[in-house]
Amino acid sequence: MTIAIILVVAAALALIFILRVTLSRSLQISAGTGFAQIEPIDVEAFRNLVDPAEDDYLRRRLPAAEFRAVRRKRLRAMAAYIQAANRNAKVLVSVGQAALTEGDAPTAEAARRLVDNALSLRRNAAIALVRIHIALAWPNSGLAATPILHTYEELSGSAMLLGRLQNPAAPVRISAAL
Amino acid sequence: MLLAHSLLWHYLWVAPNLLLPVLAVLLWRFGTARRFPAFFAFAVLSSVGQLAVYAADVLPSVSATTFWRVDWGDLLLEGVLKIALVGEIFALLFGSYTSLARMGKTLIRGVGIVLVFAAALAAAYAPRNGFFGVVSGAFLLQQTTYLIECGILVFIFLFSAYFHLAWPRQVFGVALGLSVSACVHLATWAMIENGGLLHSTRVILDFVNMATYHLCVLIWFYYLLVPHKVVAKSAVPLPENNLDVWNRELERLVRP
Repeated sequence: MTIAIILVVAAALALIFILRVTLSRSLQISAGTGFAQIEPIDVEAFRNLVDPAEDDYLRRRLPAAEFRAVRRKRLRAMAAYIQAANRNAKVLVSVGQAALTEGDAPTAEAARRLVDNALSLRRNAAIALVRIHIALAWPNSGLAATPILHTYEELSGSAMLLGRLQNPAAPVRISAAL
Repeated sequence: MLLAHSLLWHYLWVAPNLLLPVLAVLLWRFGTARRFPAFFAFAVLSSVGQLAVYAADVLPSVSATTFWRVDWGDLLLEGVLKIALVGEIFALLFGSYTSLARMGKTLIRGVGIVLVFAAALAAAYAPRNGFFGVVSGAFLLQQTTYLIECGILVFIFLFSAYFHLAWPRQVFGVALGLSVSACVHLATWAMIENGGLLHSTRVILDFVNMATYHLCVLIWFYYLLVPHKVVAKSAVPLPENNLDVWNRELERLVRP
């Protein structure tokens, strides 16, 4: 009987989740998404945070306990940046997917590249956040968040291209939003 | 009303299995079958299998042993078809995104292995019921198939929800119908196999299964044949301040 209860509860939860996705999907179609939801991120500050040379410098200059405290603060800041980049990538996936259906071939190709880059960023962001949370427990461990930055730069380029193709009259404005 | 071999019972068993081949023919005529070869095969073969089981049930000349052999054959065929169908849903949803396809394949294999272990564990701990081995085995096979199918479909929904992927309408319809069917069937077969239920309660659960499957066939009809409304898109207003700041940041990134 216990197995029956476990499986029935699991099946009910699965069904509720799938029906919720169905409902949110129909709401998404009617609501739409756009560039306006993108949050600004200071990429230079993030680049500084993930620089291993900075960590090495702090490790040499500070006592061990103080270094760990500073490192944890830096890791929390890094996580906040990555979460913001992740949210932006989520918006860009929606924007890119909406543009995918446009008839114009260069726009569709740019949209496909944008979506692919945004998905790479979301994948890398998930991995990096896991690493950051592990590093918060062991602040002396190494952490590689550089691939995130690289993907974010690629993503910005793709979004700029899509913006130009969608609105050639105002390329700078649309590019700047990203 | 809710009795085995009542009019409603005959209707719920036969109607979806007649509707599904009709859907397959329509998909073939509209050229959609080429995009969904596994669903097309599922629509044709699973209906044939189910109608064969139905015939074995209602024909007085068919012995109980032959009925359960036919049922086993149908269950194995459906299992293979459903694996192919889930693979098709995955390929249609993630195949065009190179960044996700590899990671998705690795994860789905891992999830598949975990689910096979979970299903084996659930089968191993299933209580001994009074059925013959062939009957009890068929119930366990149903529970196992639906547990794996349900788990993999939930994983696909979770994976796409995390990445905020928009499902193509027809792929979503196929996945939705299959998922609703898998969830409800998993719950009912788990109760039938492990719950020690009375015969009358099992008949009611049979009705639940058949009605759910009928609903799922109608879901497939709706999503695969009814064209969706085209929503008019309006331009999104762009925030002025952010634009200037980001233009400077991007210029610095693109040309360091």
